[in-house]
Amino acid sequence: MPPVIGWLLAFPLTASEPASHMSFVADVLPQLTKAGCNTGACHGAATGQGGFQLSLLGYDPEHDYQAITRELEGRRIDLATPARSLILRKPTRELDHEGGLRIERDSVAWRKLVDWMSQGAGYGPPELHVSAIEVHPAAGFLISPGESHSLRVTARRSDGTVEEVTSLALYSPNDDGIAEVSEDGVVTVKNPGLTAIMVRYSGHVAAVRVGAPYTKDPEPAAVAFPVRNFIDEHVFAGLKRLRIPPSALSEDQVFLRRVYLDVAGRLPTPDEIEAFQTRADSEANRMDVIDRLMDEPGFVDFWTLKLADLLLINSSKMGAEGARAYHGWLRQQVADNVPMDRMVDVLLTAEGNPDENGPANFYRLTRDPRDMSEFVGQTLLGTQVACARCHNHPFDRWTMDDYHSFAAYFARTGLEGGRIVQRAFGEVQHPKTGRDASPRPLGGGANAAEHEDDRRAPLAKWMTSPDNPMFPRAFVNRVWKELLGRGLVEPVDDLRPTNPPSNPALLDALAEHFIRNGYDLRDLIRTIVSSGTYQLSSRANGLNHLDDRHFSRAYLKPLTAQVLADAIAQATGVPEEFAGQPSGVRAVELIDPQVPSYTLDVFGRCDRTVTCAPGSQTGGGLSQALHLLNGPVINARTGQVAQRLMTSAQSDEDRIRELYLRTLSRPPDARELDHWTGVLAQAGSPRAALEDLLWALLNSREFAFNH
Amino acid sequence: MNSSRIDLRPRCDGLSRRDFLHLGALSCLGLSLADLFRFQALADSPRAKRDLSCILIWLDGGPSHIETFDPKPDAPIEVRGEFKAISTSVDGIRICEHLPRTAKVMREVALLRSLTHELGNHDTGSHYLLTGHRPTPAVQYPSLGSIIARETGIVRALPPYLAIPEAVPAAGAGYLPGAFSPFAIGGDPSKPDYKVRDLHPPESVGFDRVDRRRSMQQALDGFARHVEDSPATASRDAYYEQAYRLLTSPEAKGAFDLGQEPRSMRERYGFKRVGTGCLLARRLVEAGARFVTVVDDGWDMHQQIFKAMPDAFFPGSGKLPALDSAYATLIEDLKERGLLDTTLVVMMGEFGRTPKINAAAGRDHWPRAGFVLFAGGGVRGGQLIGATDAYGETPSERPVRPEDVAFTLLNLLGVQPDKEYIAPGGRPLKILAEGGFIDGLV
Repeated sequence: MPPVIGWLLAFPLTASEPASHMSFVADVLPQLTKAGCNTGACHGAATGQGGFQLSLLGYDPEHDYQAITRELEGRRIDLATPARSLILRKPTRELDHEGGLRIERDSVAWRKLVDWMSQGAGYGPPELHVSAIEVHPAAGFLISPGESHSLRVTARRSDGTVEEVTSLALYSPNDDGIAEVSEDGVVTVKNPGLTAIMVRYSGHVAAVRVGAPYTKDPEPAAVAFPVRNFIDEHVFAGLKRLRIPPSALSEDQVFLRRVYLDVAGRLPTPDEIEAFQTRADSEANRMDVIDRLMDEPGFVDFWTLKLADLLLINSSKMGAEGARAYHGWLRQQVADNVPMDRMVDVLLTAEGNPDENGPANFYRLTRDPRDMSEFVGQTLLGTQVACARCHNHPFDRWTMDDYHSFAAYFARTGLEGGRIVQRAFGEVQHPKTGRDASPRPLGGGANAAEHEDDRRAPLAKWMTSPDNPMFPRAFVNRVWKELLGRGLVEPVDDLRPTNPPSNPALLDALAEHFIRNGYDLRDLIRTIVSSGTYQLSSRANGLNHLDDRHFSRAYLKPLTAQVLADAIAQATGVPEEFAGQPSGVRAVELIDPQVPSYTLDVFGRCDRTVTCAPGSQTGGGLSQALHLLNGPVINARTGQVAQRLMTSAQSDEDRIRELYLRTLSRPPDARELDHWTGVLAQAGSPRAALEDLLWALLNSREFAFNH
Repeated sequence: MNSSRIDLRPRCDGLSRRDFLHLGALSCLGLSLADLFRFQALADSPRAKRDLSCILIWLDGGPSHIETFDPKPDAPIEVRGEFKAISTSVDGIRICEHLPRTAKVMREVALLRSLTHELGNHDTGSHYLLTGHRPTPAVQYPSLGSIIARETGIVRALPPYLAIPEAVPAAGAGYLPGAFSPFAIGGDPSKPDYKVRDLHPPESVGFDRVDRRRSMQQALDGFARHVEDSPATASRDAYYEQAYRLLTSPEAKGAFDLGQEPRSMRERYGFKRVGTGCLLARRLVEAGARFVTVVDDGWDMHQQIFKAMPDAFFPGSGKLPALDSAYATLIEDLKERGLLDTTLVVMMGEFGRTPKINAAAGRDHWPRAGFVLFAGGGVRGGQLIGATDAYGETPSERPVRPEDVAFTLLNLLGVQPDKEYIAPGGRPLKILAEGGFIDGLV
């Protein structure tokens, strides 16, 4: 029968039938999603594929319904002979299909589509949607490597019905080195460790944590773990669960160097090392050092630098005056230990002339409210909302509505006559509806902004509310990464339900502690560095060398650009000169990344044009090695030190000891002392040999890393 | 020692004895576990089978396709712009009138006019073209040059992957070890007194002291019981390793010295940055580099495009004349030296520009249409691949996507794009997830 006649015959039939029983949203779309039709690489791309465009992973069912049933003059479906419809002949490869075989003839998906078309290809109840999904077992599981375990996924519909959708959900492992997952939700753990499986269905996302312990031995973690505060309880519980034995507590001299570099951004001086070592009780001694470091100006400079990197303080965007005002304000906040919620509040609601009122430069980064909302999301809330600008976020809960409503908070902020001002007008339009989005916090909730003169005030109130954990979680995770070398969530600007922390209880506890203690940065740092976890040795104990996210040992942290430059200057006693800066200014004190310094560039300083991942090296590589080997940064300094030591110190042993203390922050052990006295004794020119030893110390691994 | 997985032989084969002497304590036999860690990144990097090299001329900012290699002389004035099209050494291929020398070498060139994608800002577009992947926050993909470096291994004194003068951000090593990031020569090689930075020790430090320093450094790292071997230390050690090799090879260092070129050759390439860059790239490829990127910036012409392209202000002010002598001379020079068959020359940018001229007499970003020039390395020259529609808006024939360009480039250089790498966290990732070879190119 020719298709036209078939259609004519079919039409009155379906028209006289009762309304379709099937729902496009609940019955049809999930099949297409499961078959991969609407991924970003296929018809879910913004421009579609082969003239056929669907919404990414089906977030816009009405659009998809139109595309399937109405576009191409309705030729994509065939109500009379559903099997002949394009929507089936393409993915079964009866017709040429660039996307390959997606749906097998006579498969469940195929039959669902056929049934739906035989019933008239209706949309079904217009309001029906999936309101929640649940993954079982919700708490996840640990099994042995090589074993498998099935997930079960249920969806609750808006009409109250619950159905199993295990075969239709999408699964992906966050780390497929640890676990794999099949299309129907069977998880196979491959290696020891813990990761999450992301589960997606009908616009909802969930994650379940799965993995395998490190050993079969039920009690390998009987090692003494130095429990000093709540952090250690959570870390130790995590290690016990995975049966990862922790490393021992670090030695005193290792701790001392570590905490100086992490808290004050500098090396301890030889005098400070001596003073520390002559005192007895180790734990109280360590607490004293921590408290003293928090009080020194170096602490303020160093943490101002970290926050300035986060806020992108840069004269290229703000002008020299603006950058100076902003940096000055920020430094004062750190010096006065202003609570972080207050700082966020001031930043978000800042107004006036940014050359005078530092925090107003916050709004100088961009004039576009959408860009501003993305920046605020990424830096302060640790979330990537940008995807939801054009389509619902494929891995997070953010919808386009969330995105544009959040951006609307910034729609009335602008620069007029050199001042950051609030205007009485300005809206963000939702690209789909064309309507003005009304300001609403991320994730919904009430908002009173429409009645406020300044939309940003309720935003600040929401972001700093003790009931809202987003900012605290993002912030403590960043500080944790600065101190421990890896975030509890990585990347630190992508906290989402489908990217769970390596230790969720710890992140919760830290955020709660931070809120309860008044968003106090110093207290947070003190709490972390006084934990046993922070003070563990970086040396692996055989079993835990593979652990890179559960903090069973200290992870190596390369010295960051400014700290490395300052450490070289400090160790040699020869300061670095920066163009246009007063003599003696250290790299960590520089206000602006525009201050020219090849050394800092090649060491990989953050240029503050876009958010830099903490500890990431944009420079580095061969250029950095060549600069350290041949450049002036070390070579122009070593001669002076060697010359001085030749006269000031009595013996080669003293000289070697002094160089070790200055660079590696520890005395040489007997073997090292023996080796180097031998080398120096044989050298033709002791001074040149001493200079070369200093050069080698500054180029050594032990110097380059905070361990 | 639990090292059966790690095969060190390729490294031993690839190194001369002299290299090893310069590595001090190391030898092929009796490597410690620390050494194994240190060279893990290098050890499983067998030399790619074919010895083809690649010079990528990267037109940063997004060159207008209409003002260069896809003129539309029959389109309305607001599309075709001010320039005429001229014929070339190949019947049926016409290019912009300001590229007369390039027109003469088109017999060597396969001109692809149907590059198309949808990423219209510089960062994302560059990332797409230079890695073959759309950017994602989840994974930092390695650039094509880094993949070639990874497949070549660090087997010569000269780094396998270089950038002139600096690398664009997307041209990095991504999730691969940092040793495979490009070595950026820095500065401006077109300046008369140009020297590659930090290539020589201070004058007061003679060769014997360089040797002593190195053995001291190695002794210290041997003592470093506080700093265990890890990917971070391995990556750092690999950088030093590379640096020492470069320093101890006069041949490698000589490759950077433009002073060794006759003046006539320098004139042929032109004294602008792109010309000097192409000449330096040829010297580096001649000395064994596998992948050299010459970055020519300034193609982001949102305004006054008809002034910026030709020498409208003074002789030497325009982008096209400088590019014309650089590109045409590079092709001729490689051919004269018998290097064209073993050197793939690719020229492209992140996207084309809007077919309709804007109010500022410029053109804006237009990823839907763009061009790529392929020459050498076995490419069949004198042919057109693909076409755009009448106004240069979108491909009308054979649309080619960035992953196809990446696939083709890797394939020509002897790399299988479906090979898997292990990203950090033990995650296996294919070099390219998509893409196919551009049919008819060879």
